[in-house]
Amino acid sequence: MQKLIGVAAMTVASIALVACGGEGAEGEVEDIVIGAVHPLSGALAGAGTTMSHAAEMAVKDLNEAGGIECLDGAQLRLAAGDSKGAAATGQSEAQRLIDEGSVALVGTYQSDVTQNVSAVAERAGVPLVIDVAVDDAILEQGYKNTFRIQPNATSMGTDGGAALLKMAEENGQSIDKVSYIHVEGAFGQSVFDAFEAEAQSAGVDVEEITYSPANFSDATTVVRQAASGNPDVILATGYYPDGLLIAKAVQQLNPDIQAVYGIANGAFDNGPFPSDAGPAGEGVLSANYHYDANDERVQDIRKRFQERYNEPMETAAVLTYQAVEVIKAALDQACSDDPMEVRNAIADIEIEDPLLAFDGPIVFDETGQNENATVIAMQVLDEKIEQVYPAEFKAADLAYPAK
Amino acid sequence: MQERTWAASEAPDSDAAVGGIEKYRLPLAVAAAVPVVLVLIYTVGDKDTGLVTQSVVTGLLLGGVYALVSIGLTLIFGVLGVINFAHGAMLSLSMFLVFWLTSTLGLPVYLATVVAVPLMLGFGFVVQGGLLNRLTVSGNHEGSLLVTLGLSLLITNVLLMIFGGRPLSVPGSLEGAWRVFGAIASYERLIAFGGALLVALALTLVLNKTSFGMCIRAVSANSQGAALVGVNVGRVYALTFGIGSACVAVAGGLLAPFLSLTPTVGEEFTILAFVIVVLGGLGSVVGAMVGGIVIGLVQTVGALYLPGTGSLILVFAVFVIVLLFRPQGIFGVTR
Repeated sequence: MQKLIGVAAMTVASIALVACGGEGAEGEVEDIVIGAVHPLSGALAGAGTTMSHAAEMAVKDLNEAGGIECLDGAQLRLAAGDSKGAAATGQSEAQRLIDEGSVALVGTYQSDVTQNVSAVAERAGVPLVIDVAVDDAILEQGYKNTFRIQPNATSMGTDGGAALLKMAEENGQSIDKVSYIHVEGAFGQSVFDAFEAEAQSAGVDVEEITYSPANFSDATTVVRQAASGNPDVILATGYYPDGLLIAKAVQQLNPDIQAVYGIANGAFDNGPFPSDAGPAGEGVLSANYHYDANDERVQDIRKRFQERYNEPMETAAVLTYQAVEVIKAALDQACSDDPMEVRNAIADIEIEDPLLAFDGPIVFDETGQNENATVIAMQVLDEKIEQVYPAEFKAADLAYPAK
Repeated sequence: MQERTWAASEAPDSDAAVGGIEKYRLPLAVAAAVPVVLVLIYTVGDKDTGLVTQSVVTGLLLGGVYALVSIGLTLIFGVLGVINFAHGAMLSLSMFLVFWLTSTLGLPVYLATVVAVPLMLGFGFVVQGGLLNRLTVSGNHEGSLLVTLGLSLLITNVLLMIFGGRPLSVPGSLEGAWRVFGAIASYERLIAFGGALLVALALTLVLNKTSFGMCIRAVSANSQGAALVGVNVGRVYALTFGIGSACVAVAGGLLAPFLSLTPTVGEEFTILAFVIVVLGGLGSVVGAMVGGIVIGLVQTVGALYLPGTGSLILVFAVFVIVLLFRPQGIFGVTR
């Protein structure tokens, strides 16, 4: 009897739930859901949470500006998912967000997670706008529904290398030999390979030194190894803690080099780096995609973000904000909340005033890659990260040689 | 599992005269093998000597760090038989405690470490006394395993909630480095190494020279017997876990100046710490110290030949070889 009552109660409850759902749908204009998948717990929770906040703030800003006009001012709503930093979890979270009616997805900060989410988006016919994920392979799968705003690994390695050579040349220095320290795995390796090709075509010798992402708590040996070949520049690609350790080890060993130069480095142009590294950070150069610090709209967004969430808005979060804006622009253009029409609108979109320091407007090629995504060079000068190269984004004068 | 044997080096050796040399054969062999391998690397290793010196210095210092993390674990593992899955999380907790004390109260980092030690001791005491004792006394190992796993999730996520996941740095540490034979040894790491030696020494003295230490050894050897002669086993368990946690606090405080703090930072050390504990011999403080240094050296010097993940493969190869020929660990005794 008790069992029966239980079943009855469950049935009543579920009917009530269904009824509630129905009521909402019949009311005014429905919200348009944007799904965001980021690592909100686990080792990458810090960056992931900031990015999710950025998506939340973008949605709020766009709603306050009137929502989607041609859909009767429909409001956007963010549905956030936690990938926990794992590809399988990210995949199921993406599926859940799509099942909940997301017209588009944003994410995911990690290449492997993005790869899986991209497959889900392809199957479900929902566009995915990548905010951060660098691996070339993601867009090489031939999927039609995935778009990436930031530059891929190859273009970062190539452009980062070219920028270094030009900066040295403009300052009357020549680079014959460099040592490149990078983390093992697709991220470090693909950036390095692209750099090596670029450097070798300019006649520069490249020595490669790798380290494991696990249990990297002392950089002295790898830096010593890098310095032992008497390079002109020591380069580094890796995550925040690694970059900090490397910069400190370089300062302690004090080799005779022109500069420490990061490409797609998680530390060197990250807000807390100058104060965490102290004197070891001074003069460190970094080629990375970056928000345009000279742009007034970026300054305003970052200021409000800091006030609202009490944490600085790093480039990754600015990219998330930008990704939501891309989706909003596509909704405006498509004048529809059908995911496939939104997808087609994204493919044709042109965002004239990107928040990032890019070569031109955001325009996606047929693989879904933003054609004008590029890196700029930054340098730590007087404990501040300044944009130094190229000239159009310059905020301070480059110090080269930096050491 | 109640039948636990204390490590050879610390056991009151009545038969030391008979079995002494036999017992120390492997520890001596390890001690001899390390310099031999190093000399070989210097002479026929085909590497820049400055680089080798640096990697040896780095390896020794890294070994000190590993030893520091492992000492608390070996005590808990050896005496209680509790596989403490929360060890890494407790290390993170200590680091954040030190971070909080330095950034909010403005204490210097090493003073903050001293403050953190009794706090963590209390924390460990409460965890063992309140959560684990019933399971440990009844010999239920799956239970304590699950409880510590749950505890680690709890600690990590509470830290995430309070401090966020962005990497933090402890302010105002001791910058600079000491040059030895052209190699660099940063002061912070030297202090950590010294701290490891001190902790190992203090713990060995407590275990061998005090009556409380005798209680711990008695409980470890035979808890029922110890209970029969009037030792409060539950309290010894709780205090042992507390002391293990206090060692973790020292480790956290001494590591915090040169690591980026995230809620998961401690977990990076967990697997290696387990390797070191088993390598050195369960419950052996000296074993943890030697094991830590061996692993640190293998990892950094090995990285000259097998860079990146390759050096970790070497670490696990050493581990497997030791287990194959001496399953009880270098300083362990056969049961």
